[in-house]
Amino acid sequence: MKAGFSKTWRALLSWPKPPGGTRYAACHFCDTLHEASPLEEGAAARCTRCGTVLYQNRVASLTRASACSLAALILMALAHVFPFLTMDAATLRKSLTLLGAAVALIDEGTPLLGISIVLFTVVAPFVLAGGMLYVSLPLMFGRLLPGSFTIAKWMHLSEPWNMVEVFLLGVLVSLLKLAQVADVTFGIGFWAFAGLMLCMAFAVAGIDREELWDRMEVARR
Amino acid sequence: MSEHFEKAADRGLASCHVCGRVAEVALENCPRCESKLELRKPNSIQNTVALMAAAAALYIPSHILPIMTVVEIGVVMPNTIVGGMMTFWRTGAYPIAIVIFVASILIPILKIAALSWLCAAAAGWIHPSPTALGRLHGITELLGRWSMIDIFVVGILVSLVQLGNYMSITPGPGALAFAGVVMLTMFAAMSFDPRLLWDRLDEMAKDPPTTKDQSP
Repeated sequence: MKAGFSKTWRALLSWPKPPGGTRYAACHFCDTLHEASPLEEGAAARCTRCGTVLYQNRVASLTRASACSLAALILMALAHVFPFLTMDAATLRKSLTLLGAAVALIDEGTPLLGISIVLFTVVAPFVLAGGMLYVSLPLMFGRLLPGSFTIAKWMHLSEPWNMVEVFLLGVLVSLLKLAQVADVTFGIGFWAFAGLMLCMAFAVAGIDREELWDRMEVARR
Repeated sequence: MSEHFEKAADRGLASCHVCGRVAEVALENCPRCESKLELRKPNSIQNTVALMAAAAALYIPSHILPIMTVVEIGVVMPNTIVGGMMTFWRTGAYPIAIVIFVASILIPILKIAALSWLCAAAAGWIHPSPTALGRLHGITELLGRWSMIDIFVVGILVSLVQLGNYMSITPGPGALAFAGVVMLTMFAAMSFDPRLLWDRLDEMAKDPPTTKDQSP
């Protein structure tokens, strides 16, 4: 069997076992030590002491993670091009875009707020979705692009700061605030962002962190 | 007593906080992703208390100072978070008023209270009930982000309502303080290590308090 083929074949199979003897899993909640044994697809390993999920083997993990993150990136582009809300007041028409909100805050003298909005609604989702695609798509063919390890670390760092769903609720609250003074309508950007929220959730939940890192470790060799 | 559970730390093993790989802590860096290996998050209680105290201090100005200023036909109206919520309540938009109340007023207070409780339990001042308190920690990590909603609303309104002399909205200092509260509580929740609760529980099991007499 050709080496390249076997590498590809291994990656399409379920969760590979990384080399180097027995693997352990420590519960991140209570630190109880377990021997990490392979799981069937769709199964989850739980801590024997506290019941926290140690790791789980997601069905078609790489395919799902790549597909959902690609969809998330496309929706992200749409959300930047089209307005979220369009407001008609008297003779004026104003529309809201994601970067527009951040630029307005910077212009009005609170650059820190503008930057934090960009970080939470533009940078963190982009690092998550873009990083997931960059890492998991080549992994489907048993390959690893340069810098994958660093990118996977960034993904882990940016995960708690991804506030797409919070921003969506913020748009709804603003809409209700403005409805008293002007005519406000939803734009394509809003729906794209709502789709982005779903795709991001599916992409992140699509592959277990342990599986992603195990596969990266196997592919590195 | 209950059966003995071996901890990774008892064997000198640490799980990497980035990639989850379990390796000897003596290696210092994770063999897989090269992050620093630690048995427990360093200075967890101290960091959590410090960040939480800063958040609690900022919570007061964030509610006293206006989060935005509305200028309508020359009339300047500073808006606070509570004021905005009251307006929604008076106009009958009860669900939105409740969302703002929960996200901006209740969650930060609950988070600070929960983290104080967790730190007290981890430090051994009160009984560590890891299952219940751990769930509490999970909830605080999950809910914290939702407080950002008011900051986003300010950003959206400032960007949309720039109608020249008719009406304009500018952000206020309260918004910055409130964003500080949310971020500090998020960092505080991240720096807390729930494994400390289990360590404390095991210590107590090994060395039971003398007040409880154990019948044979």
